[in-house]
Amino acid sequence: MKIKVCAGSNCTLLGSMNILDQIDDLKDIISEDADNYSDEILEVEVIKCLGYCKNTNKKVAPVVVIDEEPMFNATSQAVMEKIVNKIRKQN
Amino acid sequence: MKESYVDLINIRRQIFAKIAKIAYDGTDLSELEKASFEILPGEVATYRESIFRERAIVEERLRLTMGLNARKPTEYNRVTDGIAEVDVAETQFIEPLINVIPHACEACPTKAFYVTDNCRKCLAHPCTNVCPVNAVSIGKNRAVIDHGKCIKCGRCKETCPYSAIVQYDRPCAAACGVNAIESDHLGRAKINSDKCVSCGNCIIQCPFGAISDKSQIYQLIKAIKANDHMYAIIAPSFIGQFGPLASPAQIFEGIKQLGFKDVVEVSLGADITTIHEAKEFLEKVPNKIPYMGTSCCNSWTLMVKKLFPDQFEYISDSASPMVETAKYIKAKDPQAKVTFIGPCISKKLEALREDVKDYIHFVITFEELMGMFVAKGIELSEIEVSKEIEDASALGRGYAIATGVAEAVKKTALAIDPSKDINVECASSLHECVKLMRAAKAGKKNGYLLEGMACQGGCIAGPGTLASFNRVRKAVTEFKNQAKVESPLDNSIIDENLRNV
Ligand code: FES
Repeated sequence: MKIKVCAGSNCTLLGSMNILDQIDDLKDIISEDADNYSDEILEVEVIKCLGYCKNTNKKVAPVVVIDEEPMFNATSQAVMEKIVNKIRKQN
Repeated sequence: MKESYVDLINIRRQIFAKIAKIAYDGTDLSELEKASFEILPGEVATYRESIFRERAIVEERLRLTMGLNARKPTEYNRVTDGIAEVDVAETQFIEPLINVIPHACEACPTKAFYVTDNCRKCLAHPCTNVCPVNAVSIGKNRAVIDHGKCIKCGRCKETCPYSAIVQYDRPCAAACGVNAIESDHLGRAKINSDKCVSCGNCIIQCPFGAISDKSQIYQLIKAIKANDHMYAIIAPSFIGQFGPLASPAQIFEGIKQLGFKDVVEVSLGADITTIHEAKEFLEKVPNKIPYMGTSCCNSWTLMVKKLFPDQFEYISDSASPMVETAKYIKAKDPQAKVTFIGPCISKKLEALREDVKDYIHFVITFEELMGMFVAKGIELSEIEVSKEIEDASALGRGYAIATGVAEAVKKTALAIDPSKDINVECASSLHECVKLMRAAKAGKKNGYLLEGMACQGGCIAGPGTLASFNRVRKAVTEFKNQAKVESPLDNSIIDENLRNV
């Protein structure tokens, strides 16, 4: 899974580093529980501003993109839930 | 700030960016009357029970960021009342620095122990047996604590096999190492300014965002627009604060794009302070003074001054790294106006001191700086840079992390006089600082070099930070290791006379 976290100025101001920290911690939870989670690798990439915040006058930061799907006003809980749902094993 | 308090950070920092933008654009300040509607549009509350209250609090934050006092809930005032006084191009300090926003405070109860549903009313009930004032009895459904009798020792909590007893405290009061948080007539937090040392830890901890310091960004930006001799100096904890993609050189260049003529690492001043303190220690301890305390943390020295006035003369009188860095700039450009950028709120007070005010003209935090970058549309990671930052030694760069100051002073003193035995003890967090001073006062730290820092873990945990402790610690350590020289004594920027021993 490819997770891109924007580290542009707007997103950094509004907490994108916290989202990164939370994803890092989540990695530990997942790797310790092979029964419930697939071993798909979480590729976390920190990216420059993609222009989402510049092309609108609405508030969109922080922006996180998971497998090409952008999340606006991202919170760490929404991001983590999305990741967990994607890699949780179905039984 | 505490990065997990996401909603608070959102509001707080949007306001920094907003005020910075108003200042750069030269917008008429009457706009502030409607700014809360731009920050919180619509009619549905997001954070509290009503949007009217949310906006009222945003308005107080706007005022504090402008440098004004929050309004009294009992008096009719517009957002912009008193604004002319702060619409200037220099620091306009209105006391106090740390403010409780009255209608943001939820009047949390004060410290107490409570019995929770975990209680099984067990047969042994050790909670009753260990209570030194017989305040715990077994009620109908669970143990009961008589709050009139309870002396809050916590022994019942420790002994309960079911973890059924919890300690409750107001986060602001629990964070305060000098017991400066009291209550007003409605039970809201009130800061006793005689005790407060402006460390800002209550600001970090309050989960309602009810406490805030005042900012100088508006006046700073006005000064930048009017003056060509504006210099920025940036504290050693700056590495990693502005996002993982922004390199130190890009941060420096970004600051210049804000309108500053040049930027210097405060670690350079740390190097100078280190040499002074090392010499001072060798000269004075133990013959003239029994021990020596470091001088760089303003809240620590204020605490000693307020709580241990008879020990204050044992704190080093070397100037802080902030001041030494400014002196270095002033020597080159006598017209220089210097802005300190750091993680620290207390420096805003230090800058007002008689012996400091001619060197330091503005103090802002990393959070406030980030607001300025956003207001100016600066993307740090996209700035082209060529040269590296090389102002300071590794030891100077280590000042940001607890034990780093003592390490630098000790190593430098030993380089000057290898025969000396130097004992060191460090305290980080105001609670620990007070404990350390008690021991020192009792004569238990004679011969020691004492390092005090009011923030737990050092400056990298300061109230004005953006990135988490671990993230910055890693980044600062890396930057420290990249320094071209290890010791301040080898830093060729520093005057040779000072380095000669
Ligand atoms: S800063 Fe993240 S989208 Fe622009």
